[in-house]
Amino acid sequence: MRTRDSNKEDIVKQKAIQLLVEKGIEGFSMNRLAKESKISVATLYIYYSDKDDLITKIGIEIGKNFFDEMTKDFSPTMPFKDGLYKQWENRIRFTQSKPLEVSCWEVLTHSSYGESILEESLIDFKIIMGNFFKNAIERKELIPTISKEVFWSMAYGPLYSLLRFERDGKNFGGGVFKLNKKTTDEAFELVIKALTP
Amino acid sequence: METNSNTILIFATNLKTERDKTIITTVLNNNPEIEQWSIDLEDIDSVLRIVSTTLNAKKIIQIIKEQDFKCSELSE
Repeated sequence: MRTRDSNKEDIVKQKAIQLLVEKGIEGFSMNRLAKESKISVATLYIYYSDKDDLITKIGIEIGKNFFDEMTKDFSPTMPFKDGLYKQWENRIRFTQSKPLEVSCWEVLTHSSYGESILEESLIDFKIIMGNFFKNAIERKELIPTISKEVFWSMAYGPLYSLLRFERDGKNFGGGVFKLNKKTTDEAFELVIKALTP
Repeated sequence: METNSNTILIFATNLKTERDKTIITTVLNNNPEIEQWSIDLEDIDSVLRIVSTTLNAKKIIQIIKEQDFKCSELSE
């Protein structure tokens, strides 16, 4: 009896993420994935019914990992400043330790698969962050009239810019940029200033 | 989808177009012994994947060939 080999499955998942980042969605093929994972095409099709199925499943899994990491030691009832800082810490840690997953996530969520992946994997996350937002406004720790989109770009935009500089090896004339605690805190203080009534 | 891989059968076919797909859709959907099926037309082998506890590869190959398509089993 042919059984599912979970080790093989993990290898295939990792290779798929790598190939999606390297080749993009159009350039990604099941055949190539099978070859590079050193399994037969038939075996691959036991795990996934087709390319769409594979991409969707991988996307949802990354989303769920993302969600688990973001909510580590975080609660929507935390004071706004503490909660937001924890979010920053968690996102920095995830981005720095799993750069391939993060790149793959960006590729997938900006594609036609984006909607179904986001819908499925971030249901709970949206609820938690929604409550966090609401609690902060009720406790007057956050500007009450801010719209969700503006909130997001102010609360996380600066962080993602910095992470992108680090990933792209941005050089502003003082050597290649690396995100450290000092810079993180500097940016964070400004964000809190902007968002607090 | 937790399906026992014993019941999953994989084939290479020469289906190419959406029209080809429509043709076998009718045939496969009307077969009560096929629990689930899918075809990946994007793949160079146009991989047909069938979930069935009662049909074997030979029978499925016959069904596909009856529609004037090529079909061969992909083995692990």
